Amino acid sequence: MQLTELGELGKRILTAREEKKMNQEQLAGAIGCSQSALSNYEKGKRQIYLSQLEKIAETLEKPLNYFLENLDQQSDKAEPAANENDVFYQPVSASIQQIISNIFLLDNEAIEDLDQYIKFLLWKKNKF
Amino acid sequence: MDFTLSENQRMLVDGLHSLCEEEIKPYYDGHQFMSEGSFDWHLIRLLGKKNLICPTIPAKYGGLGLDIVTTALLMEEISSYVPSLAAIIETNIHSIQPILLAGTDAQKKLIFSDCIGENTCLLAYALTEPTGGSSLKSMYTFAEKTTGGYIINGYKSYILNAPEAKYILLFAFTDQLHKKSSLRCFIVPTGTPGVKIDRECQLNTLDYARISNIAFDNVFIPDNLVLKNNEPYSGYFLLHQTMDIGKALIAAASVGMASAAYNFAFSFAREREIAGKSIFQFQSIAHSFADMATKIEMARLLTWKACWLIDSGEDFAVASSMAKLAASRTAQEIGACAMDIIGAAALVKGTPMERLWNDIRMLSIVEGTNNLQKDIIAGLL
Repeated sequence: MQLTELGELGKRILTAREEKKMNQEQLAGAIGCSQSALSNYEKGKRQIYLSQLEKIAETLEKPLNYFLENLDQQSDKAEPAANENDVFYQPVSASIQQIISNIFLLDNEAIEDLDQYIKFLLWKKNKF
Repeated sequence: MDFTLSENQRMLVDGLHSLCEEEIKPYYDGHQFMSEGSFDWHLIRLLGKKNLICPTIPAKYGGLGLDIVTTALLMEEISSYVPSLAAIIETNIHSIQPILLAGTDAQKKLIFSDCIGENTCLLAYALTEPTGGSSLKSMYTFAEKTTGGYIINGYKSYILNAPEAKYILLFAFTDQLHKKSSLRCFIVPTGTPGVKIDRECQLNTLDYARISNIAFDNVFIPDNLVLKNNEPYSGYFLLHQTMDIGKALIAAASVGMASAAYNFAFSFAREREIAGKSIFQFQSIAHSFADMATKIEMARLLTWKACWLIDSGEDFAVASSMAKLAASRTAQEIGACAMDIIGAAALVKGTPMERLWNDIRMLSIVEGTNNLQKDIIAGLL
């Protein structure tokens, strides 16, 4: 999990703990970790794994999704650098996926043919 | 702080050492393994008899139930004799790890029962794709929800054990936006229609192991073979935790390979004479060995610490990355140094040192490249 996600997750743990009116020592004791470990979770300075998060969710009586919902968006905010022209950062349609996976089933000769055909299509696109 | 091995650990390591000396090493040294033809199961069967192909399977399911420290001790021992055998075992351990962490009892029974004893199966762990290994955004294997399960399409590359595996632990996104919350871990029986074990990779490393690409063409996997199917992020969490544990075991294997390279060079330096004395007696060579022995010990201690943190439930993400980074780098430094000491004889194709060097070379690449480990460490400092 990336630093931005860990930071956001830590804030959510802190908020839920305070809502539950528990101090760090109490929550750490309930989930079986040290107070410093919990403190680092809350600061986003320690990698957290699913089993530990499940224990936190259960103890604080929150659904797991409370901690995880839209966490992706935190990392996406931190990673806007992807060039929108970069195909690897664009969602791909099912048909493109199918083409990609089919390409790997072709032999070398067929791949060369395909390469020539794609170049022809690109030439055609640029020409007209 | 106590570094003493327990009686059980000592017994396991000594037993494995004897097996390696008496049966595994002679067999491996006497064979050149080709990537064509049928797989040679002999070494797997030898270790399978001792239940060492998946030693972390709990006793409840018929395994040895070893912790990570003990498993690391065994990985170091095996990899000092046959690194590719250690890689096969590490892949099996890696593949059962998500099931150990998050599998249902039924899933555990299904997989673990096939990984016990002499007739154990092999498992594969499918993450890397042609478009990248470490970047999830470059993953194009998708699982589309359908009634009662998922339809999987995609392609995975450089998958160790794939040609012989009975099950594949597959990571795939369930949406096309590459949302981490949609990543899931699937248990895919290799006999499922649409699973095609594709062209075998001809790699100049890990000669005993088999490595292939795998195509998934409209593969249906039922919900009961998905780990934590309904929990967002489950695949992402399991992937990270499994990798963080795996790195410590790769570190252990690296220490084993570093020790093997050291031992090859040490024997050579003791016997090789120049001007009537062994080259070990020259200070420049003796100091090289002092440096190598010290570095191996440093790498071993970092590895043990990472493994101990894993077993203790403490924070091990950074320690694992540090252990992997340091131990693989140490193995490569010592491998290169050993080659220099042995000289041209170390370059002869098919000799033990040449085979070892080919295996050592891949250590900075597998289980997340060393550059990636630096990113992880820096991110959590």
